[in-house]
Amino acid sequence: MNRGIMTTKSILLVEDTPDDAELTMMSLKASGLLNEIVLAEDGLEALEYLFGQGRYAGRNPMEIPALVLLDIKMPRLDGIEVLQRLRADSRTSVLPVVMLTTSTEDVDLVRAYQSGANAYVRKPVSLSQFQEAVRQLGLFWILTNEPPKMPR
Amino acid sequence: MSSSFEATMAADGLRVPNDQTAEFVKLRAANLRQEKEIEDLKEENRATRNENSGLRNAARADRSEIVDLQRAQQVIGALNRDLEVRNRALQEVNRELESFSYAVSHDLRSPLRSIHGFSEALKKSAATKLSAEEDAWLQKISDAADRMDRLTEDLLRLSRITRAELKRETVDLALVARQVIGELRQTDPDRNAVFAISDELRVHADPVLVRVALSNLLGNAWKYTARRAEALISFGCEVRDGQTVFCVRDNGAGFDMAYASKLFTPFQRLHSAREFPGSGVGLACAARVVHKHGGRIWADSKAEEGAAFFFTIPDSTGAAEDPDGNK
Repeated sequence: MNRGIMTTKSILLVEDTPDDAELTMMSLKASGLLNEIVLAEDGLEALEYLFGQGRYAGRNPMEIPALVLLDIKMPRLDGIEVLQRLRADSRTSVLPVVMLTTSTEDVDLVRAYQSGANAYVRKPVSLSQFQEAVRQLGLFWILTNEPPKMPR
Repeated sequence: MSSSFEATMAADGLRVPNDQTAEFVKLRAANLRQEKEIEDLKEENRATRNENSGLRNAARADRSEIVDLQRAQQVIGALNRDLEVRNRALQEVNRELESFSYAVSHDLRSPLRSIHGFSEALKKSAATKLSAEEDAWLQKISDAADRMDRLTEDLLRLSRITRAELKRETVDLALVARQVIGELRQTDPDRNAVFAISDELRVHADPVLVRVALSNLLGNAWKYTARRAEALISFGCEVRDGQTVFCVRDNGAGFDMAYASKLFTPFQRLHSAREFPGSGVGLACAARVVHKHGGRIWADSKAEEGAAFFFTIPDSTGAAEDPDGNK
C-alpha cells in the first residue's frame, strides 16, 4: 500500500537547457503561481529527486510534486524514458506529467502519449506566447485539475 | 519359283545342275536381302548423320543460349547488387534526413527561443531606459528569431512530406478543396472572393498529402489575389491526351514565365516578402506531394494576369511519367 504518499504543491521542472529553464521559471513566476519550483537538469536527476536516490538520498520519496514539466530531448536519459520509469513505479504512476518541448515531430507526440503523458505542449519561440502557455498550464494543472488522491 | 528360274536360264541357253539350283537360289535371295539391308542401314546411317548434325547444331545453339543466359544472369546479378547498394545508401540518407529533421526540430529552435525570449524580457524590463531606436533594434532581434522559426517549421513541413508513407484511398478532391476554402475564408471573412469548384473529382490518392497539396495551391491563389477587387479562384479538371489534368486558376498577381523553373524549388520566391509574404515552400510542398503520387505539376501565367497550376494524380505510382516533368 502507498498510504504514505503526500502530494506537495511543488512543480518539478526537468530541463537540461539553462536558457529554457530560466525562461520557463520566469514565465511560471510571471503567471502569479507561488508554488515552489524544483529544477532537475536532466532525466537522471529527475528520477533521483522523485525516488530519493543519489544526490537526493535524504529526500522523502513519498512526497510527490503536484506537476512535472518534462523536456523530451535531454542527454543520456530522455524525457520519454523518464516518463516510462515514472509510470512503471506505483508512487508516480498517476503523477501529472506535461511534456514541454520544442519538437512538433509526430514521433515525439505519439511516443509521449503512448508512454502515458497527460499533456504535450510545444514551447513557442515568442516569450509572451510561452508565458501565456505556461500560465494556462499552471492554472489548469495546479488549480483546476483534481489530482488523484492515491495511486492505483 | 524354281520353275520360272529354270525357264529363264533355259531361255538364255544356260544349264544348271538341278541339285545346285535350289542352293543357288537360296544364296542369291540371301544376298539380295543382305544388299537391301545394307542399303537400309546406309540410309539409316545417313538419316542418323543428318540427325546428329542437327543435334550438334541444336547443341551449339543451346550452348550459345546458355552462355547468353549466363551472361544475362551475371548482368542481373550485378544490377541486383547495385540496387542493393543503392537501396542501402537510400536507407542511410533517409535515416540521416530523419535525424537531421529531428535535430532541426529540437536543437535549432532552442537558441531561437533564447534570442527571442531574452530580447523580449529585456524590452519589457528596460522599457523606460531605452530610446525609440534601441527599442526598435530589440524588436528586430525578436522578429528575426520569429522569421527563422517559421523557416525551420517550413523546412520541417517539407521534409515531413518527403518522409511520409503514401497511403492511397479514394478521395474527392473537390470536397477537400471546399474544406480548404472554408479555412481560407475564415482567415479573412471580409474578402470579396468567388470560388468555382467542380462537383466531384475522385482520385486514388493519399488523403492527408493531397490536402497538403490543395491547401498550398489554393492558399497560393488566395494570397496572390489579395489585391484584386474581386478574387476569382477555380478548381476543376480537364482531359488532355486521355489523361485527367487538375487545375487551380486565379486572377491574381501571376508571375513572369521566365522564372517558372524556380516555382517548385524550395525557398525560391518570385515575389519579394514586401509584396507578398511567404518563405517559398508552399509550391515545393505541393510539387512533392504530386511527385510522390507519380504525377506531374506545372504552371502557366503572365505577370498581373493570374496564374494556372496544373497537376496529374495517376492511380498508381507505376504509371509515373517523368517525375520531374515540370513545364
